[in-house]
Amino acid sequence: MSLSLILFFGSVAVLLLGLGWALWKPRERKNRERDPRWLEERDQRHTNYLPQIRQALAAADYDFLSKKASRRTQRRVRRERLNVTMAYLGALRRDFENLLRMARAIAVLSPEVAVAHEFERLRLTAEFAWRFQTIRWRLLTGLTPLVQLAGLSDLVSGLSVRLEQAMKELGERAAAAAELASSMNRRGMGTV
Amino acid sequence: MIAGIVQFQQMMMWALDTAAGVALLLLLLVRKNYRVYPAFTFYISVNIAFAASLFIVYRHWGFSSLVSWRIGWATQAVTVCARGWAVIEISRRFLSRYPGIWALAQRVLLTCGGVVLLYSGMAVRHQWKLSLPTVDRALELAIAAVLVVLFLFARFYDLGPERTDRSLALGLCLYSCFRVLNDTISDRYLYHYATIWNLLGMLAFFASSLLWIWALRKSQPERAAEEKLLPLGVYQSFAPQINLRLQLLNDQVNRILSSEGPRH
Repeated sequence: MSLSLILFFGSVAVLLLGLGWALWKPRERKNRERDPRWLEERDQRHTNYLPQIRQALAAADYDFLSKKASRRTQRRVRRERLNVTMAYLGALRRDFENLLRMARAIAVLSPEVAVAHEFERLRLTAEFAWRFQTIRWRLLTGLTPLVQLAGLSDLVSGLSVRLEQAMKELGERAAAAAELASSMNRRGMGTV
Repeated sequence: MIAGIVQFQQMMMWALDTAAGVALLLLLLVRKNYRVYPAFTFYISVNIAFAASLFIVYRHWGFSSLVSWRIGWATQAVTVCARGWAVIEISRRFLSRYPGIWALAQRVLLTCGGVVLLYSGMAVRHQWKLSLPTVDRALELAIAAVLVVLFLFARFYDLGPERTDRSLALGLCLYSCFRVLNDTISDRYLYHYATIWNLLGMLAFFASSLLWIWALRKSQPERAAEEKLLPLGVYQSFAPQINLRLQLLNDQVNRILSSEGPRH
């Protein structure tokens, strides 16, 4: 089989995969698109329950249990801690996606966008997706010990709270800007 | 006997292709969709006209003559250009409602097309006798790549292009992909597989035509609703802030990934 045959068949296969991915919409995405209140309806459980999450990830708890509790209990605790961690990562991802969606909405409705900002966001998205999946698989396969996450919970919780505030502020400002643009249009003034 | 059956199948397929093309053109005219898609209408018209003229040419000079070969490739060049124009038209309809994104997309799509053309040129051994299929394949691959990037753009920005535009783009993309495979196979095994690949090529065009007929069964509005745009300052002030926050989140995930700790 010649090289050009492989290269061109490979290229077409990559293009078809890309096309399939671009056209494929998971149910979650469809539901989200139908709901215009996505900006307000953000899942805030992870910030509300952060003290519990921190507790669940505390290394001291695990050390204590490993000395006192039976193997069965330890296994159960480990499973529950894994669930908590996965939920925690999921919340982190939701934060990321919400920010991303806001950035996209603003870019789509802007008369001009900066190539540098858009590519930077694309890079960050790809990077985040890769790291998120890596951690997820490492956790599921037991390659990453759960205790690693415990020390980070403070950092992440602080960040999440700041993100909540930032999101709220951004949402309000974007809504105000949209309202301003709409009122200018109504008066027959161009916004661009 | 087998050769006769294959020839009959080819004739049938050719007739079906032409009938589908004529039906599509009629639909474009009757539903007045030619106003919305002038480039696409031109592409379909060119296709039908060339199909009819090639039929006459092949009957007169035979399939393997030099005259037929030259006319065949000349018509193919015009057809690919017409398809390229139709792709530009559909890309504009996909994104031109969003001027910022459209300006960005134009640059990205042009770069992508250029890179794919370069790649196609570098991926083959250069032989003069195969230069026309090579150029044709490069153009087809560029068209397919541009359309896929267009779809990816729409997904990345959560844009919902019109269903008709999407179907037209999909048909063009799948057909171009098939043409790339067709040219690659013809390149290597021309004499053994020419008949079957000609037949499959016609089948691919027929499938695309059916998709386009379905998409254009209704009249399309000439202009899509205009989007209300935000003042320019909103993007300039928010985009860097959001990127910074995304970077912070990324850093957090990176710390999780790279942190060392005792294993339990």
